[in-house]
This record gives sequence, structure tokens and C-alpha cells, in this order.
Amino acid sequence: MVAFIIRRIVQAFLVMFIISSIGFAIKHNVGDPVWQITGISVSKAERERIREQLGLNDPVYIQYINFLKNAAHGDLGQSYFYKKPAADVILDKAPATLELVLVSSMIIVVLSIPLGVYAAIYPKRIFSRVVMGGSIVGVSIPVFLIAIMGVYLFSVHLGWLPSFGRGATVNVGGWRTGFLTVDGWLHLILPSLSLSSIMLPLFIRLIRSEMMEVLESDYIRYAWAKGLKKYRIWFLHAFKNTLLPVITVGGVQLGITIAFTILTETVFQWQGLGFLFMEAVERSDTALLVAYLMFVGMIMVVVNTVVDIIYGVVNPTVRIAGTK
Amino acid sequence: MTDRWQRFKKSALFHDFKGDKVAIVSFATLVLLFICAFSAPLIAPYNPYDSANIDIMSSEIPPVWMAGGTNDYLLGTDAQGRDLLSTMIYGMRISIIIGICAVALQAVIGIIIGLIAGYYGGKLDGFFMRLADVQLSFSYLMVAIFVSAVLQAAVGVGRFAEIAVPFLIIVIGLAQWPQYARTVRASVLAEKKKEYVEAARVTGFGAHRIMWRHILPNCMSPILVLSTIQVANAVMSEAALSFLGLGMPVTRPSLGSLINAGFEYIFSGSWWITAFPGVLLVILVLAVNLLGDFLRDALNPKLYKG
Amino acid sequence: MKKLACLALALLIALSLGTAVNAKSLNLAMDADPVSLDPQVQLSGGMLQYSHMVFDPLVRWTKEMTFEPRLAERWERIDENTVRFYLRKGVTFHSGNPFTAKDIVWTVDRLKRSQDFKGLFEPFVGAAAVDDHTVDLVTKKPYPLLLNMSTYIFAMDSVFYTGTDERGLPKDAIVKTGYSFANVNESGTGKYRVTHREQGVRNVFEAYKNYWDAESPGNVDTIILTPIKKDATRVAALLSGDVDFIMPVPPQDYDRIAATDGVKLATMPGSRVITFQLNQKRREEFTNPKVRQAIVYAVNNEGIAEKIMKGKATAAGQQAPEGYLGYVEELKPRYDLAKARKLMKEAGYPKGFECTMIAPNNRYVNDDKIAEAVVSMLGRINIKVNLKTMPKAQYWDQFDAQTADIQMIGWHPDTEDSANYTEFLLMCPNKETGYGQYNSGNYCNPKVDELILACQSETDRDKRAAMLQEVERILHNDAAFVPLHWQHLSWAGKDALNILPIVNVMNFPYFGDLVID
Repeated sequence: MVAFIIRRIVQAFLVMFIISSIGFAIKHNVGDPVWQITGISVSKAERERIREQLGLNDPVYIQYINFLKNAAHGDLGQSYFYKKPAADVILDKAPATLELVLVSSMIIVVLSIPLGVYAAIYPKRIFSRVVMGGSIVGVSIPVFLIAIMGVYLFSVHLGWLPSFGRGATVNVGGWRTGFLTVDGWLHLILPSLSLSSIMLPLFIRLIRSEMMEVLESDYIRYAWAKGLKKYRIWFLHAFKNTLLPVITVGGVQLGITIAFTILTETVFQWQGLGFLFMEAVERSDTALLVAYLMFVGMIMVVVNTVVDIIYGVVNPTVRIAGTK
Repeated sequence: MTDRWQRFKKSALFHDFKGDKVAIVSFATLVLLFICAFSAPLIAPYNPYDSANIDIMSSEIPPVWMAGGTNDYLLGTDAQGRDLLSTMIYGMRISIIIGICAVALQAVIGIIIGLIAGYYGGKLDGFFMRLADVQLSFSYLMVAIFVSAVLQAAVGVGRFAEIAVPFLIIVIGLAQWPQYARTVRASVLAEKKKEYVEAARVTGFGAHRIMWRHILPNCMSPILVLSTIQVANAVMSEAALSFLGLGMPVTRPSLGSLINAGFEYIFSGSWWITAFPGVLLVILVLAVNLLGDFLRDALNPKLYKG
Repeated sequence: MKKLACLALALLIALSLGTAVNAKSLNLAMDADPVSLDPQVQLSGGMLQYSHMVFDPLVRWTKEMTFEPRLAERWERIDENTVRFYLRKGVTFHSGNPFTAKDIVWTVDRLKRSQDFKGLFEPFVGAAAVDDHTVDLVTKKPYPLLLNMSTYIFAMDSVFYTGTDERGLPKDAIVKTGYSFANVNESGTGKYRVTHREQGVRNVFEAYKNYWDAESPGNVDTIILTPIKKDATRVAALLSGDVDFIMPVPPQDYDRIAATDGVKLATMPGSRVITFQLNQKRREEFTNPKVRQAIVYAVNNEGIAEKIMKGKATAAGQQAPEGYLGYVEELKPRYDLAKARKLMKEAGYPKGFECTMIAPNNRYVNDDKIAEAVVSMLGRINIKVNLKTMPKAQYWDQFDAQTADIQMIGWHPDTEDSANYTEFLLMCPNKETGYGQYNSGNYCNPKVDELILACQSETDRDKRAAMLQEVERILHNDAAFVPLHWQHLSWAGKDALNILPIVNVMNFPYFGDLVID
């Protein structure tokens, strides 16, 4: 196990190195930051001077070496727009995204488990069919369509919910949270619902199919034959075995959800990492762009590693490479 | 040929299909949509790519049944004065082409990597799976930015409109291969332990032959199920890219870019520019998904493998 | 003594009651917020809007395009190179320091160092203090736009910005990409102080209690500025009541806002002209004036103004809009498809040709839709155009490199003067002088250059107008560029807001004067 973890950490560093290189390659393709930080009537010569000052005229490999040197000390460069270290900006915006993902995950967990389990136990009932039918319609509607419909209906038409932003936030030790105010919660409803609209149907279907599979397995049949109570069979024996694949998929999906926040955050102007990324692209705020890629890459690597470890611990039949 | 068809008619899959109304309806819908899309020049009232048919002065005409609508434009016109129905049919063709080709690309990359990773295991496996991690952490958005920049540099900005379709195919194909690779790898790991593989190896078949001729055919059902879902996903990804302004150019709109172009008009009352393409997109994706659902239930890849 | 205390108390209560009754707060949503608190760090519309809230210029533009005294009470021309400004007395900065002529000298010195402003202040020698409340602005040669430039002189607190901060860095440094004292601290004379700033999220401005302008009717004490970039979201925020005032308003939502109870729309003609440039170096066809004219005749810019811009744009036949010195009444939009086809035939291209076009998709109002419409219009004279639109971050690179045959550019003169359009867009491109910096059409007519250079030091208004009008006529006849329209400016807010009195053609709303009923 220890060997496995060490190996994964080494791999993680390699992955981060690759991500940083790709990030650096992309960086030069999103436009010239100098155009973004100068007025349009500034002369060419002046712009060239600024470019020189910022080191943008150095050969790419020198810029990359400088970047790696600084990155080793935790310095990911300066965000041109925010005029602050890029890492600070990322850490500043991360709570917004994490809170959004957390609440959406809660919604997914709270709804998908009972619905999925119910649909698996009573596949023929009307309600199950409605759930399954609804979930397949849900997967088929693009998230931005759902988000805009939500804004149109609940904010503009009915006026019940705010249409953008995080509302009032409270700063708790550097973590700016929207959990402590009513306003913050109101602002969370629409974005978290539309974010969960992508994953919720997928999870309902996943739980249902896994559970149905388990219910048909031999040991559940034994359990029935033994005359165990049905709730005991469903929730203790069957559900427990359903969870494993759900956790695995869930872990990976969590990472993907973080990536998906780009769309949701763009529509709702949610001031998190996804929004930050789109803005960084549009402003060619290149240092921030690379920092974002590093941060998201790190989350993906950590999540995948943890999922693999959990998978190995919970399910001893799966051999983890390295424990041979 | 007829022989195969006869065999197919007797198969369990066809039997299930006959008994499943939802599957029949969605299949029929899909066939209809495909026929419409690929005979677009024949059935569309106008050619939306021909500027002779586009007049800015006839923009934002509502559908025929609303006040102000005309018989010339059944579903109304968009903000540029294009016939919406024709544009949607042509747009659907682009969406379908991108969806299918992108999935084909994903499948090729993903199957090769999945087979190799699953069959050889060890360092190669570790490398490819980490590569998949990296790929997944770069959402298709970042792939899109990267590839568009490379292509722009290669062909020049001006010609970009002409290569937008291959561009989107490459982007969505590159961004989503890990899904295939992971599925195939998992199936290969399960198959590898089975006796027939061992038998083939003992017989002295090469790794190539075992992988392609023996293991792969046995992984087909998960691949098939995944493919339908991925086609739906690819169509949606294309729409999302267009929504963020990285998709098809406005002059050759896909369903996604049509929806995106119409979004700005939702509040102003010209809801049809977004609503009709939106409904069409949802129907298309829904039909594909329902069919995928049917295939999943019918083939039940996991149970089938035991 | 006791009586006095009572009186003071009563006065205090009355005052606080008075302010409590009148004090209004404004929830404002713009497409972006100021990039810095330093008014000289970047020359952009957003920064100037900010400067008008927190700082005061010597003079400012009125709605009628005349000058209104601000920190300068009056001014007079002393000789052909000098104008003397008499400064307002009793004005203090937010730090409490008194405002004097020294601050103007300091501010102009810093403007001449600022990377973004040094170009505009190139004709100036500098400012010289005569006494504490009198200052001379001196130019190198007679300069007709001296007063126009004084609208950019926002007095900064020389005492506040002098010395070094706690990091040991000079307080007056102008830093574009990182920390500087001036980027995060301000001390101006303006009506509002910045009391909270979370960049890109929320900015709070509160009224400065010793503000000098007691005559202003404005009754807004707190402004909360939230940037909302997406047009649809910004409109949704206004319609749902989350904000009180939005700018800009997308044209497609004009009708909806006008028809909604409780909110209203305000628009006025603007001076930003939207044009296409036809690159004569890339396409031989474009060197033929007939082809260029054919294109101008083929573009139905009145249709674009009416349909895509929803009537809130004025179709253009020249660069400068009405009210500018160079405006020529008879130069009208020229849409005529038959004539365009005839010209193409005469030029020898009856079958047309194929070419490329680029346009931004988030820079000008509906820029991508305009470009798309022009592509189909050119299709009608058999010019097949391949269009690529892109975000502005990538656009200017491509524009500068002239990667397409037809390129879109919009221009609003910083000087509010006709000559500025031609200097940047249509004079012969010259690396040394910097003229024609955005002339991606590579149009070059020595006569035009000569006229523009001459009018730079022509202080006689009538003579100058004749020269500038001559330029517009030449450009028109040569079809030097494809004029589309002048964008209108737009604002929308709740009914209680008196929007029209505070807005102007430069799009710097004077929020200090805003009255909320």
C-alpha cells in the first residue's frame, strides 16, 4: 500500500509537470495580454516596451524555465488583471466553486439514492417509470438551457430568486462563505440546481442499474431464501454493495463537475474558478490561466488517487498495481 | 446479406426491440431526423448558405401562426433574416456529422489505448491511465482553445470557417477518449482472466491477434452502449462549445450555435430563434439516449459477461 | 455654553435626519468594473467613468459638447501656446489635504509619464504653477485641442501619493500588472470615496462629506457597483430588481425594457463609428476604387442599423458624426445593390471573388451579427467572404498582423475631434510617427495626410472645419473604408432615476449629479 501511494505521488508530480507544459503551450494562444492592459490609442512602440518589461519577448523556453523556477517556490506568476499573485486569486475564488459543488453534490446524494433505489426495487411502478423517464429527459437537456430557463422563470418572470452572483458573503478566516446568510443561500439555489441537473439523472440511473444488478445476484437470492426481512435485504445487503461502484464513478464525476462549473458559473456570474477561467481567457490573463489549469489538474489527480485507494481498501479483490 | 438479416431478425436483440414501444418510437424518430438532415438540400425550403436568400430586412419574422408571421417562413426567421426551418435542418446535419465523427475518433483512440493498457498492464497501463487523468482535467474547453489556436496558425484565421467541422470533431474526439479507454480497459481486465484468452495464448497467437480478434469482439456490447451515449454527449458538447463561442461559425450554424445566437433574443420576445432549435436538439439527443437505454437493457453488458 | 451645545445637537439631529431622508443608494451594474484605483494606469472608458466618480477634472464635457468648469473656475488664453486656469478654492482631497496648483503640476507630470496617457499629452510642455490657485498649461506649439485634453486632467493628491509605502516602494509608481500603492489607494477630490473593493465582484462608493460641489442636485450617497459581463444576465438583474441601473443595454432588449413597468430606457447617439477596412496589400481587387465603392454600395447599413441595432444606431456615410467639426451634411449612406453590381462589372469582376474577414465578437455592440450580415450582403455581389469572429483578447493581435482581407474596427476619438479618426484609421501607416496605426486597409492618400497634419496646429475653428470636411469628402469618394454606423449609447434604470440629465455622448455618466426621486 505504501509503495502504491508513493508511486502515485511520483506520478502526480509528473502529471502536474505535463499539465504545466500544456498550460504553458496554451497560454501563448489566448492572445496578447499587453493589448488588454493598455488603452487602444497607445502607440506600438510603447506597447513593445511593456512587452519587453514583462519578459514576453524572451524565447518561450526561457519563459518556461523561469516559470518552473518560480513555481517550485509556490509562485505561479502575477495575474495581469487582478494585479496580484495568481495563486492568491485562485485561492480567493476557490471557496465559491467548492461551496457550489458541495451543495450540488448534496442535492445529488439526497435525491439520487432514494430515487435510484426505489426505481430498482419497483422497476414496474408508475413512479419509477416517471423517475426514469424524467432522468433521461434530464440528461438530454443541455445545462445552459436549464440554467437560462431557470433564470427566466424564477428571477425575471416570478421574481422569487436572484439572477446572478453569490449575494452577501461572510469572511471566515479567509474563506468567504455564502452559507451563513439567508441571501447567500437564496443565491445558491438556482446555480446549484442547474449544476446538479447534469449529474443527478446520471446518478439515479447508475444507482438503479447497479442495485438491480446486485438484487439479481446469487447471494441476495440466498438472503430471500433464508427469509430475511425485505428492508434488511434491500438496505443492508443490496445497497451496501451498490455503493462501491457508485463511489468510484462519483469520485471521477466530482472532478468533472468542477470542470462543468464553467458553464453554470458563466450563466449565473458565479464568482468562482470556472468564471475566473473564462474571464482569464477573454482577458488573456495568461498567468492566471496556467494557475487555474494547475489547480484543477491537482484536484483531479488527488480525487483519482483517493478513489483508487478507497477502491483498493474497500474491495480487496481488486489488485492495486504495486502491492504484488 | 439476406442471411445476416434473417439471423438478425431471429436475434434476442430484435425480439426485445419489437416488444419495446419506446425503442421503436425513438428509432423511428432518429431515422426520420437523419433522413431530413441528410436530404437537407432537397427538403429545406431555402438554402441558408446562399446569401441570395438572406435579407436583413426580413429578420425576426415570427412563426406562421403568430401575428406578423408569413407563409414564406413556416417557423419564422432568425436575427439575420434566414428561414429558421431550413437553417435548423442544415444545422442538424452539421450537429449529427460532428457527433458521429467525433465519437468515431474517440472510439478509435480510446479502444486502442484501452486495449493496450488493459492487456499489457504494468507501466504502460499506469502511463495511459495518468494520461487519461490529465485529459479529463482538461475539459473540452481547454482542448478547444488549444486546438483552435494550432489550427488557426496552420491554415490562417480567414480560412477557419471552412475547417470548423473537422476542428470540432478533433476537439470533442480528443477530449472524450478517456471514457472509451477506461471502459475498454475494464472489460479487457475482466476478459483477460478468462480461459479462452489463456487458450489463445497457449496456442501461440500473438498479442495483436488476441487483442483484436479475441478480446475486442467480447467487449463490443459496452462499447456499443457507450457509443450511443457518447453521440448524445458529443452533440451536447458541440452545443456547449458553441454556447461559449468556440463552436461553429455564425455563417454555418449548428443547432448549438443557433441556440446560442437566439439566447440574446429570449427576453426581447423573439423566443422562437432559440426555442425551435432547442427543442430539436433535445429531441435528437433524447432519441439517441432512449435508444442507448434500450441497448443497455437489451445487451446488459455487465450481466451478459457474467 | 449650554445653549450652544443644545443648538449644535439640534443642528446635528436635523442634519442627520436630513441626510437620512435624502440619502439614496444606487445599485449599479456595468459590463466591467475599474481595473485599478489609479486613474492614470489605463486609458479606457471604464477607468474614465471611475475617474469621474472619485476624482474631478479641470473641466468636463457637457451634454452639448461644451466645456463646464470643475476644478478650474475659469480659464483664459494667455498666448498662442498657453492657457491659464484659475482654480477653485476651498477644495480638499479625500485625505483631507487641500487642493492647490501644485497638485495639477504633479498630475500633469505623472500623465506625461503614464504609458497610456503620454501619447495624448505629447503636445504639452507641462503645467506651471503661477500661485496656489492659478496654473498655466503650456503646449509646444499652438494646439487647438488644449481644452479637450484638460478633461483628462483629474487632480491627484500630490502629498498623498508622494513618498514610499510600507513595502518601501514609491507611492507614485504606475504599475500595470502588479501591486502599487496607487492601484489600491485613492485620494481624489471627487464626490465618492472607495470604501470597499473586491475586484470583479463588488465595489462600494460612499459620498465624501466635504465635497466641494454643494450646488449639484445629486442625492446619491452610496453606489454599489457590480460588474455583470453577460448582456442577458445584466438585463435579467434589472428586470428582477436585483440592480437599479444598468449600462450598456443590448439592443435586442430595448423593446422589452421600454415595455416593462417600473424600468425605463435612455439612449442617445454616440460617436463611435463602426467600419470595415479593405486591405489593399492583401487583395489586389481592393486597390481598384470601383471595387471598394461597389462594396460600400452593397452594404445596406441602414438595414443593419434598423434591424440588428433595433434602430438605435445611425447609419453612417463618413467617420465623424453630426456635431463634429468634420461632419459633412451631404455624405449619406449609399446602399444601392444595382449600382454595386454595375460597379463590379465595370471593375472587371462580374463573377466576383473570394476573400476573408475577421471581426470581434465581444467588443462592439452586436459586432459578430453585423459582420455576419455584411457577409451575406457581399454575397449578393458575388464576393464570397469567409468570416471568423473571435473574442477581443485574440482579435487585436490578428488585426495588427492583418491576417484577413476585410477587418472590422470601431473608433471613438479620445480627443472628441474629427482628426483623431483619420490619424489612427486612415493616414498612411508610418512606423516612425505612429500615424495610421490601425489602418489595416493600407489606404494611403498623401493629400489626406497633408490636410490632417496641417489642421493639428490650426487654431482657427472655421479653417479647421473646412480642412476636416475636405478630408471626409476625399475619403468618401475614394471609398477608403466601409462605413456602417455610429453606435448609440444606452442606459436603463428604475423609473425613480433621472438618467438623462447625467449621461453624455462620451458615456461618462456623472453619478455625482444623479437624482433619485
